[in-house]
Amino acid sequence: MKVGRIDGWRVGGWAFLTLLLLFAVLPMAWMLLTSVKTQFAAAQYPPEWWPHHPTLQNYTRLLSPSSDVGQEFLTYMLNSLWVSSATTVIGVIIAVPAAYAFSRFRFPGRETLFYAVLLRNMFPGVVFLIPLFIMMRTLRLVNTEWSLILTYLTFGLPLSIWLLKGFYDNIPPQLEQAARIDGASRFQAFIRVVMPLSSPGIIATAIYSFVQAWNEYIYALTFLTGKEKLTLPVGLQQFFTEYATDWPGLMAAAFIMSVPVVTMFLILQRYFVRALAEGAVKS
Amino acid sequence: MGRRLRRAAADYAYIAPALGVLLFVIGYPICDTIYLSFFATPPNLAMSQKVFVGFGNYTRILGSDAFLSATWNTFLWTFFSTGISFVLGFGAALALNREFVGRGLLRGVLLVPYVISAVAAAYVWRWLYHSDFGVIGALSVALRITDKPLIFLDDVNTVLPSLIVVNIWKEFPFAMIMVLAGLQTVPDQLLRAARVDGAGPWHAFWHVTFSHLRGVSTITVLLLVVTSINSFTIPWIMTGGGPAGASHIWITAIYEMAFGRLRFGAAAAYSVILFLILMCLGYFYVRALTGAGNKRSAAE
Repeated sequence: MKVGRIDGWRVGGWAFLTLLLLFAVLPMAWMLLTSVKTQFAAAQYPPEWWPHHPTLQNYTRLLSPSSDVGQEFLTYMLNSLWVSSATTVIGVIIAVPAAYAFSRFRFPGRETLFYAVLLRNMFPGVVFLIPLFIMMRTLRLVNTEWSLILTYLTFGLPLSIWLLKGFYDNIPPQLEQAARIDGASRFQAFIRVVMPLSSPGIIATAIYSFVQAWNEYIYALTFLTGKEKLTLPVGLQQFFTEYATDWPGLMAAAFIMSVPVVTMFLILQRYFVRALAEGAVKS
Repeated sequence: MGRRLRRAAADYAYIAPALGVLLFVIGYPICDTIYLSFFATPPNLAMSQKVFVGFGNYTRILGSDAFLSATWNTFLWTFFSTGISFVLGFGAALALNREFVGRGLLRGVLLVPYVISAVAAAYVWRWLYHSDFGVIGALSVALRITDKPLIFLDDVNTVLPSLIVVNIWKEFPFAMIMVLAGLQTVPDQLLRAARVDGAGPWHAFWHVTFSHLRGVSTITVLLLVVTSINSFTIPWIMTGGGPAGASHIWITAIYEMAFGRLRFGAAAAYSVILFLILMCLGYFYVRALTGAGNKRSAAE
């Protein structure tokens, strides 16, 4: 009787997981299938469920620097790479000491400051968009990468600090105290003892902010005006307006754009889930 | 006393860079938005020519039909996105919370929609929903569910539910990992103790697992609500608020007002209204976070 009930739960669990898996995967499968069709083959009704003559031409066109489309696409990709990397590096440099301070020190105003940091997560980009746009115009940063890097830093910082703090909370302070007794200054103890121990957290955090910057759309849409400056998300839109019926090309571009972030996450999901568990759940 | 202050000053040095950036890119914009919201700004964006209108922007927005319909849409969008994402994610987390071959892979694959860029997702779904060549419409005909392809994004009645499905697709993995993370903190001994005391699996689940997940669930739901209210990319790329404004939510309406019609003052007022609503939510968010912390320390 009891065994039967457990089996019922199990079967139900598997059925549910299968359906959810289909829901998650099928849209992406259709993206891939479309991306290896020609424009003609994609515009059929009823659709070719399985491509009759699969071709990689959409991918080669996007990735070859000799074609016009390829040149545009590769420029967008380089822009994205530069903006995301700069955001990540600067963000980590700023977030690491802040997270450490929030985890270790008891200073006046610590609580309020920390909630102020957290609350940033709550506010929509749009609330900041108008004044930041005016500010960037005044600073003559509109249509530069720095307008985005500066803005993305503030997106990333609160959550980076939040995630990293969880990691520092788990490193026993006794380790630093031991280093202090051996004559290290507080800063040396931080660099030599705490930093190496927290590298998984730093990696997870860095990946998170890289992905955020790589995928960001609304600020890139507003701040960038010149075609040569666009990052991939807005570049994709540009691509869509120029070649409106080229769905296979667009699907190929969407796929290429997703590859780096999905790979990073799949390889490092363990770190990421752990970081979330420690940062967000234990608070 | 002096020494304590000096100590504190050294501590502040660690957070000063973070604080500086936050003040520069958060503090200033908030003040500037509030300031701008009392002005009518010219469409050429020459801010020196703005005219003070007091609460004019606010009364006009709060009294307009467009605001009412965007508010209703935002409510539906947030309510259904959050509710269904959370239930799906919670179920997935429970089903994944035991050892089996390929568990890590399955979890990874389910996470992919959350990870891929919203822009890519929006175009993929636009293609799935395409009125002429969309695969979902074709599939519903091929499986004889409908006689002709369904219209998703070009009909005022179906556009919002269609967008909500995309949002759920994108957000349920987030609920899943949050709940999975929470499940890792449920102590095994407690579950075993409950079984020893004669509790069935359902009782053990309800009294031990579920009560342990209450804190995580609250935070997850709040974060899902906030993400839904703030989401822009999916509705903007897929419909731009159309057809005929039928899928405008607050965020897309504000964006359209600011960068479509270049009415920065009015859009700023709209933003402040949204900001106040989110502040109320933020209050609950912080209370949920500190409440969870207090309960835990009381238990220890």
